[in-house]
Amino acid sequence: MATEHIVKSFDAELERINGEITRMGEMALGQIQAAVDVLQRRDSKAAERVTINDDAIDELERTVSNDVLRVLALRQPMARDLREVYAALRIAADIERIGDYASNVAKRSMVLNQSAPVAPARGLPALAELASELLAEALEAYRLRDADRAAAMRDRDAELDAAYTSLFRELLTYMAEDPKQITPCTHLLFMAKNIERIGDHATNIAENTWFLVHGEAMSGDREKADKTSE
Amino acid sequence: MTNAPIALQTSVAAAEPAAASPAKLTARDLNFFYGDFRALKDINLVVPEKRVTALIGPSGCGKSTLLRIFNKIYSIYPGQRAEGEILLDGQNLLDPKYPINRLRSKIGMVFQKPVPFPMSIYDNVAYGIGHYEKLKKAAMDERVEQALRQGALWDEVKDKLKQSALGLSGGQQQRLCIARAVALKPEVILFDEPTSALDPIATGKIEQLIAELKQQFTILIVTHNMQQAARCSDFTAFMYLGELVEHGVTQQIFTKPSKQQTEDYITGRFG
Repeated sequence: MATEHIVKSFDAELERINGEITRMGEMALGQIQAAVDVLQRRDSKAAERVTINDDAIDELERTVSNDVLRVLALRQPMARDLREVYAALRIAADIERIGDYASNVAKRSMVLNQSAPVAPARGLPALAELASELLAEALEAYRLRDADRAAAMRDRDAELDAAYTSLFRELLTYMAEDPKQITPCTHLLFMAKNIERIGDHATNIAENTWFLVHGEAMSGDREKADKTSE
Repeated sequence: MTNAPIALQTSVAAAEPAAASPAKLTARDLNFFYGDFRALKDINLVVPEKRVTALIGPSGCGKSTLLRIFNKIYSIYPGQRAEGEILLDGQNLLDPKYPINRLRSKIGMVFQKPVPFPMSIYDNVAYGIGHYEKLKKAAMDERVEQALRQGALWDEVKDKLKQSALGLSGGQQQRLCIARAVALKPEVILFDEPTSALDPIATGKIEQLIAELKQQFTILIVTHNMQQAARCSDFTAFMYLGELVEHGVTQQIFTKPSKQQTEDYITGRFG
């Protein structure tokens, strides 16, 4: 925001919404990290805590929705201000969904812990690491209102899709070799898909950041590297 | 249209037929002076036919001045002069040879404060018509009723047409003034802050009326209320310090204006 509003409290309200989104983003990043951590440590107790922590992200999303509604009703924002609150609403929804995926990964890790460790579980942390990196980049681009940085981040989602495709094939191979691996590998497949979806929502954040800055949709179809359905 | 003075931004208009409407009024290289003070600077503006165009901008930006040039009210004051052209269907209104009576019948105006004549409701409407046309009583009754219906006032006053117009509420008086303007069958109606003295209900009625009137008339409205401009106009022009800063499809102006000055004004950062 270049200059201040004549009515100062309007700035304070927009600032507050920004702060809430920042907090949501930090929490979501922490949840992804924690989900991978409990998976690696095979700690079901800690995994349960991760699923419970997701409530806090949901709660913050409701707060953002309320604050956005209040600004819409009481301030009737226009132009950049309108795009600010519109983008905040959409980005909050994306972060909330990312939190759900992190929580799902933790939940499935508890099921995995009921059987012996399987080798391909090792590929998941790298995938999650990449997803976290993309999410952090999208959030940073949003924080700085940097549309070019957001566009660059969106292009990087192809890396995550490619990593997912590779892990998908690896898991198929394990299942084909040893039918006893089918149950844990199927869980791992869902977890990998969850992490891949985190990248898509991070991409949405980048696209909303672009819209917030430029007032128009980011042009061009992004490259798809998820080839598991081909 | 050749020699188009200003390109309308039509990226939103692609889905909006408004942009397809031909020019009704065109200001071309228009300058206006109050004595030595240059109040308008090289204004180029196209007002599309049967659409609502809103003029917005901070006080003193020249929007009311521009509105008043469109019906040449300024010409009754000494020391005020306009340079450039105002084309109504291609004819220059500023040409001294353009008959003022024809101008007055083609361009009606509604002011900020409703000013009914101190006579009956019926006579308020009939007065102007009688000035231009000699009608028999029955024909005049019909014209008055038609105008009052167009002004969305008929149902409220049909039983008291002979009563003084001064007894009407502010909102009713304003609709009477609109009916009075409409009665002359103008082609363009200019509104100068038509609702700034009215409560929200009366304002809503006037805005609904404007939406109906644009089926038949070309409308230009000056308003300080940006929500009103957003609600009831197809095109919006933003003026500042006597210049036309930006003119485009209303949705575009209020979601993604192209000029920083427009952005700062409509988001309440200066003005």
